[in-house]
Amino acid sequence: MSKIIVEKVTQTFGIDSGSSLKVLDDINLEIESSSFNVIVGTSGCGKSTLLKMMAGLFLPTEGRICLDGNEIKGTDRRRGMVFQQDAVFPWMTVAKNISYGPRIRGASRAECAEIEKKWIELVGLKGFESSWPRELSGGMRKRVDLGRVYANDPDVLLMDEPFGALDVQTKERMQAELLNLWEITKKTVVFVTHDLEEAIFLADRVIVMSARPGRIRHVEEISLPRPRTSETRLTEELLSIKRKLWSMLEH
Amino acid sequence: MKKLTEINSQRLILGALSVGSIFALYILVTSAKDNNPALLPPIPMIIGSFTESLGNGNLLSALGASLYRIALGFIFGTTCAVILGSLVGWYVIAEYIFDPLIEAIRPIPPLAYIPLVIIWFGIGEFSRVFVITVACFLVCIINVIAGMKNVPKVYVDAAATMGASRVQIFRTVAIPAALPFLFTGLRIALAAAWTTLVASELIAAQNGLGFMLQEGRRYFLTDQVVMIIIIIGFCASFMDRVFRMIQTRLMRWSEMRE
Repeated sequence: MSKIIVEKVTQTFGIDSGSSLKVLDDINLEIESSSFNVIVGTSGCGKSTLLKMMAGLFLPTEGRICLDGNEIKGTDRRRGMVFQQDAVFPWMTVAKNISYGPRIRGASRAECAEIEKKWIELVGLKGFESSWPRELSGGMRKRVDLGRVYANDPDVLLMDEPFGALDVQTKERMQAELLNLWEITKKTVVFVTHDLEEAIFLADRVIVMSARPGRIRHVEEISLPRPRTSETRLTEELLSIKRKLWSMLEH
Repeated sequence: MKKLTEINSQRLILGALSVGSIFALYILVTSAKDNNPALLPPIPMIIGSFTESLGNGNLLSALGASLYRIALGFIFGTTCAVILGSLVGWYVIAEYIFDPLIEAIRPIPPLAYIPLVIIWFGIGEFSRVFVITVACFLVCIINVIAGMKNVPKVYVDAAATMGASRVQIFRTVAIPAALPFLFTGLRIALAAAWTTLVASELIAAQNGLGFMLQEGRRYFLTDQVVMIIIIIGFCASFMDRVFRMIQTRLMRWSEMRE
């Protein structure tokens, strides 16, 4: 059970400075447990802001966000986050990055080793355990990032355009692997992107946002069969959903 | 792309060339007939002064006294700077309390305190170490604070969303992320320590390298002055090298340019 409810959330930046900017306006959302949700919108629609509030990195100006009935008032390990930027700690080896979460909670050396082994294998980094992040490609560092968040065993996975900086091939491979991990773990996912194909390919539900101020414009249930493969990307169903949502994004 | 060995040999040749030509020029000038050795002592004289003061033990005892002062001042100064600087750079409350103080003291050159320190504490060992400590502290803490302020936010956020507490983030993220700044701070502090050492020994000391400089000036022993300057140069650059080695060792993870 890990259901997120967003209730009448608004976010206004710079209230004190006089030139306040309303980034999000009256957002209401229910994120079902174990579902894969993708928020799309053009830049400036506040989708990242919404995600960061779910993480607890900052609080809404009005309204509230709850996880299983408890209001979110700060960060905690139940809601893990993958960032758009490279967040892998460069001063730790791949293995140490992966076991960071368990280690700060005082897991024993043996437990950490076991977690490292499991997740390094699952994210396909076998053989790179003792590499430094600088020795890896951007795609591999994203795997470390993903493995690290999963190894921390959160209830909810928040992903802020995690594959935005990758090339198309790497991006598609990472999407497929992310779906695999999700099928295995069935964690609730909220994924933010501006890439419609990515959104439809991954999601159970696509939430379309409009900009200035950010509002929810439309919610599309995606019933494409799973498991989804690279052929799914070219199916008429996917393309027609893409066409439909595209028109909403532009206007 | 050139090969690394090629670059290294190029570097070696050019470096030797620049040092060598200065050396050759000095020999040329000092061997001229009308050169006054009291102003520009020829190299054999400098070497003579070196072996002489090495032989009678003066040099080693001076070096010992100076290194002892540097070590004490550097260790006290930088330890305080790292501790206080980390707190000021990381905890807003500490910043509000200490930052105005640091900003007020920072522009004053440490040497300006020497008269005050002499009035308060006399011309003893404590005064000299104290001035060196202050100098090391001031230049180091600026870098430590800057390092803490420059910790990339995404690392902090990543650690926080994995459940790390503020103290844990400080220990596991802020400190390693600030390490490059920290080392810069230490190295600048070392340079400041040498500067202040010589100044404080010039003014009030019965031994030490600065004292030997002063002695050389008083008795017109220019060869001794030049010799001490070279010794100071060697010691300072050797210590800096050691620090750089430690830094490379501790920061194998970083993409440092050689």
